Amino acid sequence: MKIKFKILSGFTLIILMLVIAGFMSIYEFSRLSKSVTTLIDDNYKTIEASKTMLEALDREDSGILLLISGNWKKGREILDSADSSFIAAFQIAKNNITETDEDKYIDLIDKSYLEFKGRWEPPIVGTVKEHSIDWYFTDLHEYFLAAKNDIQALMTLNQASMHQESNDLKEKARRAIMPGIVAMIASLLFLVMFNFFISRYYVKPIVDIISSLKRHTTQTQSFDAGIVTNDEFKELEKEIQSLIYRIKKTYQS
Amino acid sequence: MRVEIVLRYIGMVLIFNAVFLFISFLLALFLSEPTDIPLLYSTLIALIFGLLPIIYVQQTSYISILEGITIVVFGWITTCLVGALPYILWGGEFSIINAWFESVSGFTTTGSTILTDIEVLPKSLIFWRSSTHWIGGIGIILFTLLILPKSNTSKLTLLNTEMSKLAKADFKYRAREILRILLYVYLGLTLLETVFLTIAGMSFFDAINHSFATIATGGFSTKNISVAYFNSIPIEVIIMIFMVLSGLHFGLIFNTILGKSNNIFRSSVTRAFLIFLVVGITLVSLKLYYNGTYTWWTSVRYAAFQVISVGTTTGFATADSVGWPGFAQLILIYFTIQCAMAGSTSGGLKFDRVWIFFKAIVKHIKMIQHPRAIIMLKVGGKAIDEDIEKDTMVFIIFYLFIIFITTLLLSFLNVDLMTAFSGSVTTIGNVGPGFGEVGSMSNFSSLPDLGKFILSINMLLGRLEIFGIISLFFIKSWR
Repeated sequence: MKIKFKILSGFTLIILMLVIAGFMSIYEFSRLSKSVTTLIDDNYKTIEASKTMLEALDREDSGILLLISGNWKKGREILDSADSSFIAAFQIAKNNITETDEDKYIDLIDKSYLEFKGRWEPPIVGTVKEHSIDWYFTDLHEYFLAAKNDIQALMTLNQASMHQESNDLKEKARRAIMPGIVAMIASLLFLVMFNFFISRYYVKPIVDIISSLKRHTTQTQSFDAGIVTNDEFKELEKEIQSLIYRIKKTYQS
Repeated sequence: MRVEIVLRYIGMVLIFNAVFLFISFLLALFLSEPTDIPLLYSTLIALIFGLLPIIYVQQTSYISILEGITIVVFGWITTCLVGALPYILWGGEFSIINAWFESVSGFTTTGSTILTDIEVLPKSLIFWRSSTHWIGGIGIILFTLLILPKSNTSKLTLLNTEMSKLAKADFKYRAREILRILLYVYLGLTLLETVFLTIAGMSFFDAINHSFATIATGGFSTKNISVAYFNSIPIEVIIMIFMVLSGLHFGLIFNTILGKSNNIFRSSVTRAFLIFLVVGITLVSLKLYYNGTYTWWTSVRYAAFQVISVGTTTGFATADSVGWPGFAQLILIYFTIQCAMAGSTSGGLKFDRVWIFFKAIVKHIKMIQHPRAIIMLKVGGKAIDEDIEKDTMVFIIFYLFIIFITTLLLSFLNVDLMTAFSGSVTTIGNVGPGFGEVGSMSNFSSLPDLGKFILSINMLLGRLEIFGIISLFFIKSWR
């Protein structure tokens, strides 16, 4: 093999190793960034929506208590506003299904909320329900709690997933850094090896040719650098031998 | 010593590893697993380090003994380092020391693991893990030599280094033919077992992984509770048969297939090895039954699997032997020390040495009775050279001494005595499971990092038959 090819291949290999390590790190970091986006978009959005739903439920509960106490206007006002914010938050959660079985949780919330709503939507003021704390506790409150529990279950699912994703992020960050570390160590080892080959196959033949030439000129020994590789150095050795032969021949004639 | 020649051969070993790493990468790509990048980068590192010396160094037809030993020892160490790369890049349970331990355990076909949950690993990484067994089983060097052009002098030197004298005793062929025989038997057994396990109900992926581990007498399973997961008698029977076959001398298996006279059925050592296994199974079964641990058939089923698994240095498990009576555990420890036959893929002490040892005891008793008699030590009707007898004794003593030293070191690291002792025995014998904290259903994760490193050195010593490593570092004169 030609010297040019050998040196070029050595450099190409090390460049290849470093470039690929770089690409790997970039790829892993982009995966990491994607995970962070997923974390925010997927889980955080649903958790926020769940919180809004819970808050809306609490406000609806207050509105119902106002209706029971006979304050129709204020009660209905609160209920309408809370209901619309609940529905808006519910739509966000419904359109952001990212976890396994999350759709089932959404269906449960939908069902339990409709049942709860079905209890307070008909008139309360001016009916037997007005001032009836018994109705509130025996009939309505359990639907309120059921809806609340379903929302909390959805929130827990997303929180657990968020926690898992955060743990994975740590692992992904490590995975993104590792190729760099490995590339650094591998490059060092590669350079040691490359340096060994350079000195063994390029420096040594030059030194051998020089010392053989010196021996030839000072001690009149025959020229033999002992080059074993089949490259330009072997050709150089042969050319020098042929040159010496021709000089000798010219000198003798 | 010509360092460049050593580097060239190690380069070839690395390229061979790169092939299997690339297959694992393709699997990751096919299954869309996140291990694609770690496996691809490991492939490239192995390839780059393998290519450089091949580009620079010319082929040689002669390798000295020192060069041969250096190639083998550093070939194994480099392979284990490269084998650890996918684990290190993947992370999870794999810290640097854990990755090194798992890699050494794989290549030396030990089968001890640090993983507490194997099933969460991507399939491509599990495949690489099993591949390390398969590559290590036959000896990376032997594999690489097969793809070399015909240069019998260098092959013979490496073969002499890689294979013990005892293993070669039954091979009556030239170096090239020995390699061919090893390859045929190895490939044939792997293929057959994969087919049988698939027919028995294993998925193809599990079947090929378990075949890799069985034929290499490794023991890495794809399941956390090893073969016990399948709870299937046909699967257990198939694995037992192939464990026994892999524990026998491959040359004898080859001869048996070809119908030659020097075969398994005529080999007295093979006969003795099989009798020892049967006696072991019987004793453990009886003890388990009479202790009320299991019913009679369950006792036989579990005892047979555990004794064969340990006796052939495979290390699969169908039951938790940690809870077994002390007598049964001691029998298993005996088989862990004894190991399988020379010429097989197993490491450690080897049954042939134990057999010579027993014969030597009988010989010495006879010599005490008849001091003037000239008594030859014979195995299979052939007289054993005094040198082999002496080598065997020294090897056994040295082997036990290393077990003692390792146990001592582990005890110093506050590892309990049973774990330390069985861990030492099982790693130097390349068996896999031990007792105590490192039982058949548990793992080596709880050991201190230094302990894991000591045990990984033990595995390499066991695989390279101790003197390979020792001679490289301690023998001053090579001429």
